[in-house]
Amino acid sequence: MTAARRFLMLVCLVPCVAACRRTSEARAAQVRAAEATRQQQLARRLAMADANPAKALPVAMWLMPPELREISGLALTPRGTVLTHDDQVARIYEIDPKTGILLKGFSLAGGVRGDFEAITIAGSDIYLLRSNGKIFKFKEGADGGQIPYSVYDTGLGKECEFESMAYEADSSRLVLVCKKFLQKKAPKELLIYHLPLPLGDRSAMTTLRVPIADVIGSNKWKNFHPSDINIDPFTKNYVIVASREKGLIVVTPDGEVVRSEPIPGDHRQAEGVAITADSILIVSDEANVKPPAITLYRWRK
Amino acid sequence: MPVLKKLIDVITMKSDRPMRRLMAYYGILAVIIVILAYFFPGLVQRIGAKGLGDVSEGPTVLADALSSSPTASIGFEPGGLGDVAITTVLILLGALALMLPVTWVYMSARPIPGHNQTVVQTLIILPLVVAGIVYIVQNRLALAFSLAGVVGAVRFRSTLRDTRDLVYIFLAIVVGFAAGVQSLAVGALISIVFNLVLLVTWQYDYGRNVLTPTASSQWAGPLHTLASPTGDHEIPDRDLVLSLTPEKAGALADRFQRVRDTLGKKKKKPRYTSVLTITTDNVPEAQKQVEEVLDRMTKRWDLDEVVTNVGKPCEIYYLTRLKKSIPRDVLLTAIHENADGIIASADLETGEPFDDKAATKG
Repeated sequence: MTAARRFLMLVCLVPCVAACRRTSEARAAQVRAAEATRQQQLARRLAMADANPAKALPVAMWLMPPELREISGLALTPRGTVLTHDDQVARIYEIDPKTGILLKGFSLAGGVRGDFEAITIAGSDIYLLRSNGKIFKFKEGADGGQIPYSVYDTGLGKECEFESMAYEADSSRLVLVCKKFLQKKAPKELLIYHLPLPLGDRSAMTTLRVPIADVIGSNKWKNFHPSDINIDPFTKNYVIVASREKGLIVVTPDGEVVRSEPIPGDHRQAEGVAITADSILIVSDEANVKPPAITLYRWRK
Repeated sequence: MPVLKKLIDVITMKSDRPMRRLMAYYGILAVIIVILAYFFPGLVQRIGAKGLGDVSEGPTVLADALSSSPTASIGFEPGGLGDVAITTVLILLGALALMLPVTWVYMSARPIPGHNQTVVQTLIILPLVVAGIVYIVQNRLALAFSLAGVVGAVRFRSTLRDTRDLVYIFLAIVVGFAAGVQSLAVGALISIVFNLVLLVTWQYDYGRNVLTPTASSQWAGPLHTLASPTGDHEIPDRDLVLSLTPEKAGALADRFQRVRDTLGKKKKKPRYTSVLTITTDNVPEAQKQVEEVLDRMTKRWDLDEVVTNVGKPCEIYYLTRLKKSIPRDVLLTAIHENADGIIASADLETGEPFDDKAATKG
């Protein structure tokens, strides 16, 4: 090969290499641009929603990537972002709900699989709940990281199937809501378990029972199957959603139902709920005819 | 390729040993990967171990379902055209880089002389095709079923000469899979371990029936006899002889046979009494210069063979009958003087005519 040909090949390769190099920079620039645009967009939509309090219009709706087809629980971080996860694999994603940017993803070491249904944050610890009542405890990981974890079996898997868990900071305890009773003669009530932290002492566990009639209220639901729970940051009440009934209820820590209504908007399978400190209700939907998404509404107290 | 070959030659100091050359290749590959990882960490991670689980991809803009013009649909977001093109090129190049040494091992480390060129080419092409298929299918179940249907229509009926060829084909498929699921790190490890194990088993003739002599011991006897028909002299470089591959030993034996035939039996007056070996990078010029000297200083000479080597000097063999007045050293000195700077080395081996009876007794 002559020197001229070699030189020509090198000249042709330079732009290719430069294009490869620019991929990450291009993405970062794209993210920054989208962030700025979307923040302004959200502010405008929130102003519109505040101007029309009677209408429950979504202020944002972000479609999830294929990895989050079965998006489940939501947990707010102190940074204002949410942690979420897929139903099948213990892989946690951090999303900025206000700009719709997937910030990072990390997994439990070894790629644990299972029916993961809820997530919550207590201080520096993150808790992930399996439907059989097993709780995985771990710390937040870096993007792409695999992190160690410990497992605690609540022993409640024989009684209930779970999909909801939240951290009640005031009493330093985890709140689990039974979705479905596994006994044949299921009581007509909403059963809420309180597990004090640190986990380990089963005798310290308490329950709160709410009659199902109070939960249903004036709605046409036959029952109520909670798919997620979170704590209202203003009232400290429990906000619970049920995907099957497409319903949302608010229960005080004493068991009084203060609100029972359909989830705003059109949600095929609402699997997660969270309320931000600036009054935004976030609902996650797993793929069901429509693509998986998280939707934001103005939260009305 | 010549650049890579030269580089390997430099690293291995022109060694012919497959293990050294293989190690040199992987060393070069590792250096390239380290450089790439330093400058383009995202790219290397993307094809290195993505399929194994978690790879950082950085922030990703999610599609806005409320907006009519989603910001996410442009640029290099995952799944974008530029991204897919770069990833595809990288996984194909990666698969190719991993399969090249496998083909070298396939061609060199063989107990049966010769290899099937079709298999060599298949080993290069197959992983590329498999990687492409796997990259397209990935987690899509429907596509996987469609692929099974399409592939089911194509029938492969081929008988391989050596059952080990099948293992190479399997390896090609594995490397292709690894590349397709963007886990080339696994493919690389499998390829390295495969090559090393194969070379070691070949080198030590692992699994050989104890009653069957090893290739080296098989050749050591005849070579020893050829080097020293009377048995008085030791082989000058025994290690060299023992390290010969069966193919090389075969080639050497052929040459000895040819020389022996030319020299004739002991009772017959030989036409030639010595073999002149010249090593050079410039065969035509060296021939010209050496033959000038041979014309002057030998009774007769004949060009026996020119062995062309790639990556190392070529060898020219002459059969000669020296004049009685010209000693060996004088001839060699004259050759060196006449072909100064053209030839790398010159050597003259003077032998006696081969005695069949003596060899049989020995």
